[in-house]
Amino acid sequence: MVHVEIKAEELFAIGPLIVTNSMVGVLLASIVLLLAAWWFTRRSGIVPSRGQSLLELPIEFLAGVVRGTGGKRWRQFAPFVFAIFLYVLIANWLSLLPGVGTIGLAEEVDGEKIIVPFVRAGAADLNFTLGLALISFVAFVAFGLRANGLRGYLKELLIAEPAYMTPLLTPIHLISELSRVISLSMRLFGNVFAGEVLLATMLALTTATVFILPLAFVVPGIFLGLELLFGLVQALVFALLSMTYITLAIAEHRQHGSSDDHSGEAPEQGAAPAHGSA
Amino acid sequence: MDLHTLAAGLAMGLGGIGPGIGLGIGFSKAMEAIGRNPEASGTIFVPYILGLALTEAIGIYALVVSLIILFAS
Repeated sequence: MVHVEIKAEELFAIGPLIVTNSMVGVLLASIVLLLAAWWFTRRSGIVPSRGQSLLELPIEFLAGVVRGTGGKRWRQFAPFVFAIFLYVLIANWLSLLPGVGTIGLAEEVDGEKIIVPFVRAGAADLNFTLGLALISFVAFVAFGLRANGLRGYLKELLIAEPAYMTPLLTPIHLISELSRVISLSMRLFGNVFAGEVLLATMLALTTATVFILPLAFVVPGIFLGLELLFGLVQALVFALLSMTYITLAIAEHRQHGSSDDHSGEAPEQGAAPAHGSA
Repeated sequence: MDLHTLAAGLAMGLGGIGPGIGLGIGFSKAMEAIGRNPEASGTIFVPYILGLALTEAIGIYALVVSLIILFAS
């Protein structure tokens, strides 16, 4: 009924680099983001114009969320969180435009005619989401290293609080660090891919009735609206989870650990409310 | 009728039970909290969305497995 391809289809190859249609989608998202950044910062000022203040509203909302959960040093990683949010959001919403995933070359595979689309939703390819999750992983490890120092970070990672529990707890800790990458990437991929399949299925189910009832114009529209919402929520979730991991990595301090490596920040950490509520 | 179809259906159906219960509990608790203290809805929103995403991930794993069984094997 519906042809579903889990892998992104190859379009052409430049030397050893194979360009898939998901890559085209992601590149489009990057181009849109870069053009928007250029266009909107060109005439921005301290006193915002009407268009500028309209655009600053969602950023201010996100900044409020980051400030509320990110703790004292939220300014360090706020740009990273914004970038992830905007990138995933644009990539998700671009994939809902008409023509994405539908316009392409017809190919015959196993005696069945299928369409290989030129553009495919970026996040409907595990490579994109896994890449983003790896960037997030590198970011929270790097922020943890910068905040705690190498010794503090390794001690936090490898040695459990009562020392005799170390052989039991350390593997669990390591696996939970790595599983963040898998869960981040799988969540985004699963949601977007399932959304694509859902839309295709709804369209295929309702086109049969188009001569009796014009359901094919209504039902997929409802699900398109739903996918708009899901794209926003998934972008928010990816950004917020990355932020939470970074916050955890920065705040991972023991009360009397090896935090003396950076004496300037030690009193600030001691005053942090993270341990005070116990 | 292929056994793959049955396997995919079972994977998704059984895999949906746990996250469904979990999401229901989380949502009901969040609504309860907002009902008790409506001013706190802004504070509750972000942890609620995060918990929702973490719970839903299990269901998404089941969905990915079922789609792989259905289309990629």
